Amino acid sequence: MAASKPDHYSILGVFRDATQEEIKRAYFEAAQRLHPDKNVAAGETELFLDIQQAYEVLSNPKRRSQYDATLPPEIEEVNRFIRHEILYSRPSLVRVGEDQLIYVLLEIGPREEQSTELPTPPLNICLVLDRSTSMQGEKMDILKATAIQLLRSLRPQDVLSVVAFSDRAEVIVPASISLDKKRQEASIQMMQPSGGTEIYYGLEAGMREIRRTIDPSRVNHLILLTDGNTYGDEQACLQLAEDAASQNVGITGMGIGNEWNDIFLDALASKTGGTSAYISKPKDIERFLVDKFKTLVNIYADEVLLEYQAQENVRVNYAFRLQPEGGHIEIAMPLRFGPILRDTPLHVMLEIVVGAQTLTGDDVLLLNGNLKASINSQTLPIPPIRLRLTRNVEETPSIEGPPTRILKALSRLTLYRMQERAQTAVNDGQYEAASRHLQNLATHLLSQGENSLAKTALLESENLERMHSWTATGSKDIKYSTRALLLGSGKEKK
Amino acid sequence: MIICSNCKHANMTGAMFCAECGAQLIGRDSLTTQTITTDGLGRGTRRITGELDQAVEGVDAWANLHLLDTGQVLPLSSRNEFTMGRVSEGQPIMPDIDLSPYQAYAAGVSRLHAVIKRIGGQVIFMDLGSANGTYINGKRLASNVEQVLHHGDVIALGKLRLQVLINSQ
Repeated sequence: MAASKPDHYSILGVFRDATQEEIKRAYFEAAQRLHPDKNVAAGETELFLDIQQAYEVLSNPKRRSQYDATLPPEIEEVNRFIRHEILYSRPSLVRVGEDQLIYVLLEIGPREEQSTELPTPPLNICLVLDRSTSMQGEKMDILKATAIQLLRSLRPQDVLSVVAFSDRAEVIVPASISLDKKRQEASIQMMQPSGGTEIYYGLEAGMREIRRTIDPSRVNHLILLTDGNTYGDEQACLQLAEDAASQNVGITGMGIGNEWNDIFLDALASKTGGTSAYISKPKDIERFLVDKFKTLVNIYADEVLLEYQAQENVRVNYAFRLQPEGGHIEIAMPLRFGPILRDTPLHVMLEIVVGAQTLTGDDVLLLNGNLKASINSQTLPIPPIRLRLTRNVEETPSIEGPPTRILKALSRLTLYRMQERAQTAVNDGQYEAASRHLQNLATHLLSQGENSLAKTALLESENLERMHSWTATGSKDIKYSTRALLLGSGKEKK
Repeated sequence: MIICSNCKHANMTGAMFCAECGAQLIGRDSLTTQTITTDGLGRGTRRITGELDQAVEGVDAWANLHLLDTGQVLPLSSRNEFTMGRVSEGQPIMPDIDLSPYQAYAAGVSRLHAVIKRIGGQVIFMDLGSANGTYINGKRLASNVEQVLHHGDVIALGKLRLQVLINSQ
């Protein structure tokens, strides 16, 4: 982008070779963000008009080609906002008559000069709190105290709403920039636990509050806290999470104690690129929530998407975010990678299976797509990053070892996946297999010096053999502890 | 294909860790063998309420309850009556012996399940109206009816089986 007025393509955040379809979609997205009905910020109406004008030109093929002729030749410029780095587990593929694996570690972070210059984004957060009967006592007391503490710590530009739900939902603190904190605190204090747990009502009411003050320049996020299982409305919840994702609203699920459904909460959060957390003791509620708020304030880009074209015989088999918050990434179109923080770049590990049929040529296209991010403090859409992952095919395997960062990250990821296999085996009723997986897991935990976790895994393994079930806390302990081990494992050693 | 040297699992070319056992397949460092034991780790094994904490293999215990599934021994001493059950949240009356560390919930133990007491030289056992029943040597007891226990009897609270070892001194 020169100092002069940006061209129509950069205004819409598309490439020059974008199809009509892509231009249309980019226009709709930008128009939604900047529509004058929604935005009152000064100067944004002008931006909206720019977008209109850009679309009018580019959507008409004749005018577009005329316009293209006036443009200076395109220089493949570096993205001004985001930098990225790609690491492969091996320099080349081998020509063999069978499927093979390759791992790719993506690092996506802010450009140094940008991360310090831009102001921290204002928050638009809704706390959706379970107030079912089981929350009674310590959990509820700590939750109330923490909610009030967070309310007090808000900056004037932040919005925090609170919704409580049981088998119905009620808005405790509506989303607004209100000054009457005393009254809000009193409403929080008055929450009384009763009733069952129906998460859908809570999420629905929470999303309604978030939409009141939704704004792309804010960090829009919903935090769900629950200690129980929801029954029968899982599908509706997941659907709602998808809608939330399309509006750039992130969801974090926090489970307290051991009776909640971690698989469901993980699925719900990963739809939006978010993650779930396990709070084993009520007294940790405060720490988890305060940390979460710190993370949210620190967000640079609130959602990184990878849109890619499906290839024949090459597929992304597994995706995992190593940092800022470790979490499984659902294999879907697009892949939702989650946020980039100012101080912590995003690390994603992809496992790609290359089919034997594709190995006939000189090189293989592993993945062809665009990385998209929306930066909160930046109103105009930023141009996507082209991501074209290819590898040569050689006759003999290379002798070069994998990069240490990949090796280290994978050694940790392997642990997490062994735990996943044990979970699957238990669900299928194969207790012996599950117990064997846990024993293997324990062996590797020991060799990596994680003695206490290794002991937990061993105890669980024995328990599975004997009782054919996890202990009350076992499966979650192991899952979230192995996940925590992954944090930062893809980092460069300093 | 890469055959794991540890478990002989066939992994896809390009794999770096065995999908079955997790062993590193390439550039592996030598793994050192370590031995650990799980006994005495005590995660939940000694979480017995009441005065039971101090007396481990109580010499002064008038009876010991041997958990047949897990092998632990719960000594009964310093008082003559113990209620048995499992502790759960929001419960008004706590049992003297909390069996929840031993999978009581899965085994169907009620919150207040049964009582064991010593009267004179006899050990008396009674079901407290439990949901899943109490058994002596496989025979179901009627609720709230006292039964005499003998050395070596196997009692069951729901599916949780315990052998009674009476100290006759």
